[in-house]
Amino acid sequence: MILLKLIQNELYKIFSLVRSYIGIILFTGIVPLILWGYGMGTSHIEGQIESSVSDMFFIEGSPTNGFTAAYFIMNFFWIHIPFLLALVGGDIFAGEHANGTFRVYATRPISRVSIFTSKVLATMIYTFIFVFYFGLLTLGLGLIWHGGGDMLVFHNGVLILESSDALVRFFIAYFFSFMNMVLVSSIAIFFSTMVRNAVGPVIGTMALIIFILMVSSLPLEVFKGIQPYLFATYFSNWEQAFFDPIPWGDLFRGLGLVASNIVMFLGIALIIFRRKDILS
Amino acid sequence: MSETELTTPQSPSPLTSDEVTPALACYGISKRFKSIQALDDVSISVPRGSIFGFLGPNGAGKSTLIRVFAGLIAADKGHFDILGSSSLKGHRVRNDMSALVDRADFYKNLSAYQNMKILGRITGHDSDEHINRLLDLLGLYERRKDKVKTFSQGMKQRLGLAQSLLPDPKLLVLDEPTTGLDPQGMHEIRDFILKIAAEQNVTIFLSSHLLHEVELICSDIALIFNGKLAAQGSMRDIFREIDNVTIELEVEDSKTTLAFLEKTDLVTQITPLANAISIEIHYNKIPELIRLMSAAKINIFSVSQRNRLENYFLSLMEGK
Repeated sequence: MILLKLIQNELYKIFSLVRSYIGIILFTGIVPLILWGYGMGTSHIEGQIESSVSDMFFIEGSPTNGFTAAYFIMNFFWIHIPFLLALVGGDIFAGEHANGTFRVYATRPISRVSIFTSKVLATMIYTFIFVFYFGLLTLGLGLIWHGGGDMLVFHNGVLILESSDALVRFFIAYFFSFMNMVLVSSIAIFFSTMVRNAVGPVIGTMALIIFILMVSSLPLEVFKGIQPYLFATYFSNWEQAFFDPIPWGDLFRGLGLVASNIVMFLGIALIIFRRKDILS
Repeated sequence: MSETELTTPQSPSPLTSDEVTPALACYGISKRFKSIQALDDVSISVPRGSIFGFLGPNGAGKSTLIRVFAGLIAADKGHFDILGSSSLKGHRVRNDMSALVDRADFYKNLSAYQNMKILGRITGHDSDEHINRLLDLLGLYERRKDKVKTFSQGMKQRLGLAQSLLPDPKLLVLDEPTTGLDPQGMHEIRDFILKIAAEQNVTIFLSSHLLHEVELICSDIALIFNGKLAAQGSMRDIFREIDNVTIELEVEDSKTTLAFLEKTDLVTQITPLANAISIEIHYNKIPELIRLMSAAKINIFSVSQRNRLENYFLSLMEGK
């Protein structure tokens, strides 16, 4: 019961901050713009698709639709979303330290573990809302704007997904993307427990992600051995939801590594937070 | 002879365990920050119903001890009880305690009411009626919908007090609540503390380095220097220990008075001031001096004892 009240408080605080709406406002503006642009360039895209598959298929109707538009947009934003999430996750502890409000909050008869849990869960709820909104906007608006139909995916040839199957694949892709973004928020929370200003955790989170991303994508033999153990290796694993057959083994192996990283970052953050002396 | 009924004197009713248990008691608390021993084996007992002044110069360890009570930092050694509940039980020790540590800080983008609501929700004291009553008590009801960033420092401090009263605490710990306020703000906060103590039946633990402030409102005190407890007791008992005090005499004829004081052997030091004469005298000799001055037809407008606590404080510091 007390945890629910604490989560309610944390959500109230998150949604009272302007920074929490930056990403939502940004997507509300840019996704329709991309969908409009996508529609304007349809004939060019269609021409490219038709020329690459004309010797295999006869295409009736348009190969571009809401599904392909949503897929196109997802490829675009998976590096931008972490930054927007880090703005909120990085502020969750450090922002309160900077304002001095943590001193007021922590004197109440509640355990540090409860405070920590409520902040983590509220951040994850925000992450879910963010990813859900992104999904709703890209897929929902995409389907309204460009219509449904079968979805063409280019992977080891051409894969045609029926619209009902495509929808399920999108839900799977959004789930794995959400888990990756939970990891991003966990990293931001980890940095947030260590410092007393909100800028540091945002920079720290992005620096770590970019660093791991670079190491995980370097085509050098020396890094090949460690790449499967780096979380950034799996940041684009949502794409596998559109493979045929879906490589569930790879997906869950990636998910396991992402989940273990979430546990590790949050575990260390909890230890830091429980031991932390609040001096300001 | 009429028959006399023998009665035994009625013994006072025994104190209940609640009355005997101190509001706050700490036992051998120590805390070290790297090379600095901030608290060294500090033990204090705060009587229930008192306004307890916790004194010490800046950096003496006052705020560190309060942060230990408030759960903001962990002591290296020792433990404490709040209204009989031990800190060894964890955060539940603070069920009946509330603290305003250092200056009051808020979610500045939220209103006074919203700030109250957020803290009240934690302990289930967030009804509109309760919040509005406290805002009214602290004179903030009319500004309850305004964002806190528009408040003056005095208003923020009052809102901090209102927040600390949200859980209906039996012990209220205040860490230098008048710091940063102008004289009017300081006066207001002092009045509110007295009002809260009287109306809400709350024991107040007040840390301050403003000796005059403590002297005005506290019934009991403890003094801390360099992390070590130097003295504690009721104000009355502590003042009994003071031999020489400084008093200021406001008289009609300063010249005659000065001549009179120089002749008497009651006074150890005389300092003429702009509108008064400051003298140092043994505490027990004050009535005799006033009698002699009256007999010498010196018109006295006021006799005010200044800085009793300051004298005591300084004497302790010199002894350290």
